[in-house]
Amino acid sequence: MAGKRGATPATYSPSLTTAKGKKKPPIFTDDANWVRSDGRHFHQCRPAFLRIATVNSASGSAYAEFGNTKVIVSVFGPRESKKAMMYSDVGRLNCNVSYTTFATPSRGQGSDNKDFSSMLHKALEGAIILESFPKTTVDVFALVLESGGSDLPVIISCASLALADAGIMLYDLVAAVSVSCLGKNLVIDPISEEEVYQEGSFMISCMPSRNEVTQLTVTGEWSTPKISEAMDLCLDACSKLGNIMRSCLKEPLSAPEE
Amino acid sequence: MAAASGSNLSSEMEVDAFRRLFPLRFHERHLLQSIRPDGRTLGKARDTTIALGAVTSANGSALTKIGCTTMLAAIKLEVMTPTAESPDEGCIAIDFHMPPICSPIVRPGRPAEAAPVLAKQLSDTITSSGVIDLKELSLVGGKAAWMAYLDIYCLDADGSLFDAALLSAVAAFSHLRIPVVSLNDEGRIVLVSEDNGGGKLEKEPVNKEKRKLKLDSLPFSLTCILHKNYILADPTAEEESIMETLVTVVLDSSSQLVSLYKPGGPVPAHTSAIQDCVALTRQRLKELQKILNGAISDMEVD
Amino acid sequence: MEIDRGDGRKANQLRPVSCTRAVLNRAHGSASWSQGETKVLAAVYGPKAGTKKNENPEKACFEVIWKPKTGQIGKPEKECEMILKRTLQSICILNVHPNTTTSIIIQVVNDDGGLLPCAINAACAALVDAGIPLKHLAVAICCSLAKNGRVLLDPNKSEEQNMKAFVYLAFPNSIQSVLPEGSLQVEGEPMEHGIITSVTHGVMSVDDYLLCLDKGRAASEKLSVFLRSSLK
Repeated sequence: MAGKRGATPATYSPSLTTAKGKKKPPIFTDDANWVRSDGRHFHQCRPAFLRIATVNSASGSAYAEFGNTKVIVSVFGPRESKKAMMYSDVGRLNCNVSYTTFATPSRGQGSDNKDFSSMLHKALEGAIILESFPKTTVDVFALVLESGGSDLPVIISCASLALADAGIMLYDLVAAVSVSCLGKNLVIDPISEEEVYQEGSFMISCMPSRNEVTQLTVTGEWSTPKISEAMDLCLDACSKLGNIMRSCLKEPLSAPEE
Repeated sequence: MAAASGSNLSSEMEVDAFRRLFPLRFHERHLLQSIRPDGRTLGKARDTTIALGAVTSANGSALTKIGCTTMLAAIKLEVMTPTAESPDEGCIAIDFHMPPICSPIVRPGRPAEAAPVLAKQLSDTITSSGVIDLKELSLVGGKAAWMAYLDIYCLDADGSLFDAALLSAVAAFSHLRIPVVSLNDEGRIVLVSEDNGGGKLEKEPVNKEKRKLKLDSLPFSLTCILHKNYILADPTAEEESIMETLVTVVLDSSSQLVSLYKPGGPVPAHTSAIQDCVALTRQRLKELQKILNGAISDMEVD
Repeated sequence: MEIDRGDGRKANQLRPVSCTRAVLNRAHGSASWSQGETKVLAAVYGPKAGTKKNENPEKACFEVIWKPKTGQIGKPEKECEMILKRTLQSICILNVHPNTTTSIIIQVVNDDGGLLPCAINAACAALVDAGIPLKHLAVAICCSLAKNGRVLLDPNKSEEQNMKAFVYLAFPNSIQSVLPEGSLQVEGEPMEHGIITSVTHGVMSVDDYLLCLDKGRAASEKLSVFLRSSLK
C-alpha cells in the first residue's frame, strides 16, 4: 500500500521496428518533386491557431498551436524587480522557456531551455518600450506543451501576443518564422522530422508593420542567393502571420471554439 | 462589522477597493447572503470541462478545467525490467509540476512549495485507491513491464489544485492506449507499426492490439473550505488565501473513502462538518463521472 | 476482546509513551517524544525577527524542517513539513509576535510507525518548552483499520503495513488545562472533538472513518492527560 515506491529502475521507450529493405520516407530525398509528410507545399506554413487570455492568473497570456507545436506563454508584471537588482531607468525583461516532460517523443527532464530563453529575450527586447515601466520587471514565461518543430519562432510570436494581452507597450507585434534548407529546397515552417535532416536553418523575427527585424539567425551552410530567397520567404510569411496575430487580438474574448 | 459598511459603496471601484482592503469582511458579507463573490451558492462547484487527447506525443492525455484552474496530464509509457518482488507488475510514477506560467507566485528556478506535496498526495491517492491494476502493465513476466510516467502540469492555478489534478490524472488514464509491441531478438521491446502489420512479423507481438486499461472504481475529490459554520465547496485561490481551513475528501465510484485530508487550519472539523463534506463530495462525484463519461464518448465518436 | 496483535497489546492499547523536555541546551525549546520504538526529537528556535517572503507580516510565521533518520529530503518529508507547519500554526496565537519566524526542527530518531503523530506531539511539547504562546495543545494519534474491520490504535510499522487503511488524527486537548504561560484566551467551546488534522492512507468506508474518529478521540483524552502531566 503506502511506501511501495523504491528507486525508479532504468527505462527506455520502445523504438519503432524498422523492417529491412523498406525505403526511406520521401522526406529525405533530394528530389524537387517530393511532397512534405503533412502534404504541404514547400512554401506553405502550417495552419496557426492563436488565442489570448488563456491563463487567468497572469497579467497577459497567449496560446499558440502550429500543427503539433503547442506553446503557452504567460506574462507577469510589470512588477517589483528582484532585490539584488540595481536601480534602472528602463524596465527589465526576463524570459524563461521550459519544456514539459512529454513534449518530445522520448521523455525529457522538463528542465529550462537556457538557449531559447536568451534567444526569446533578444527577439522581444527590441519591440518593447522599456522606458514605459522604469525600475520594474516584466516576466515572460513560456511552456512548450508539445514540440512539433519550429518551436522557437512559435514561442516568439506567442510571447509577443501575450505581451500585447498584458498591455505592455510595444512598438509592434513580433512575428517569427523559420526556413529549413533540405538539399536543393527551402521549406518554410519545418516540422521536427524535417528539422532533423536539415542542412541549414534560417529564422527571422520581425515587426511586420514597421518592416524592422529584431532577430535573425542563420545556422549551417548557405549560399548568398539562398539566403536572400529565404529572407524574402520569411518576411512575406511574417507579414501574413502578423495579420493573423492582429486579428486574434481584435477578437472578442468570448471567441467561439476554433 | 458595521464600521466599514458605508453608504458610499455604490460604484464599482469602491467595491473593488473594499475587497482588497478587507477581504475577510468582504467574503463574510457574501456568506451572510449564502452566496459567493463569483455568484455561486456555497455548495456549488465551478464549471468543469475535460478534453481527452490534448497531447499527441503522449500515450494518454487530458486537459481539465475547473473554473479557471487548468491542468494538463499526460502519460508516457516506457519499458522497464520489473523488480524481483513483483515480476508481473508494471509501475506508475506520478509527478506534479507548477511551471512559472501558472501563477505569479512561482518564479523560475525556485519551484513552488506546494508542488512536491501535491505530487505525494496524488501518488498516494492513486496508488491506494487501486484504480489501476499494476498487473495489467506487465508485458513479459519477469523481463519487461510498462512504466507509466504520469506528469501533471498546472497551467493556471486558481484554487482546488488537487481536485483538478486528480481529475486530469483519472481522465488521462481513461484515455491511455497501450501500443502494440513485440519482443525482438536482443530482448528489447519494440513498437510494431500498424501499417506494415500482418505476415512480415518475425515474432508474435507481445501485446496484440491497442488496448485500454481496465479501470476499477475511479477516485474523485472535492475540496471544501471550513469557515465558522459555513462550508464552501471548490474554493478559488482568493478564497483559499483568506479562509485557510481546507478539507479534501476523495471518494471512489463505489462511495468508499479513499482519503480525507485536512492539513491543520484554524477551524477544527467536527463530525457533522465532515459528514457534510462527504455528502457534497458524493454529489460532486456523480457530476464528475457524468462529465468524464461525456468526454470519453465524445472522443469515441470522433 | 482477544489479544491478537504482534506485540500482545489490546486493540485500544497505546504503546508506552514517554516525553522529556529541554533535552537540548542551545535550542530555545526542545522535547523528545517516543511511542514504543518510534522516537522523535523536536527543537524550537525563535521567534526570530522577520518573516519569509510571501508571508503575512501581521502574523507570526512558522517554518518546519524535517530531518529524516537517513537519506535526503524527498516528497514525503516535504509533505510532513507542510502538514506539521499548518497544524502548529492552527494551535499557536499568531498575533502575539507579529512579523517573526519560529523554526521547528524535527529529527527522526527512529521510525516504527505512526511517525507523523509522534512528530506533532513532540513539536507541541517543544513549543511549550520554548514558551511560544499557544491557544491549546494538540494531541495526535494513529488509528488503523484491520482487514477484519477492527480498529487498532497506535500501530507499529509492521502492523501499519498489513492494515487495510490507517488514519493520522490530531485533536485539540481539553481547554480546562492550565497552560504554563497562562495565555488562555479561548472561550469555553466544546472544541476538543474537532479535528485539527486528518491524513488517511488506504480505502475504507465512511462509517469506518467515523469509527476511527471516535476511538481516536477516546485515546486522545488519555494522551492529553499524559501530555499535560509531563509538562507540569
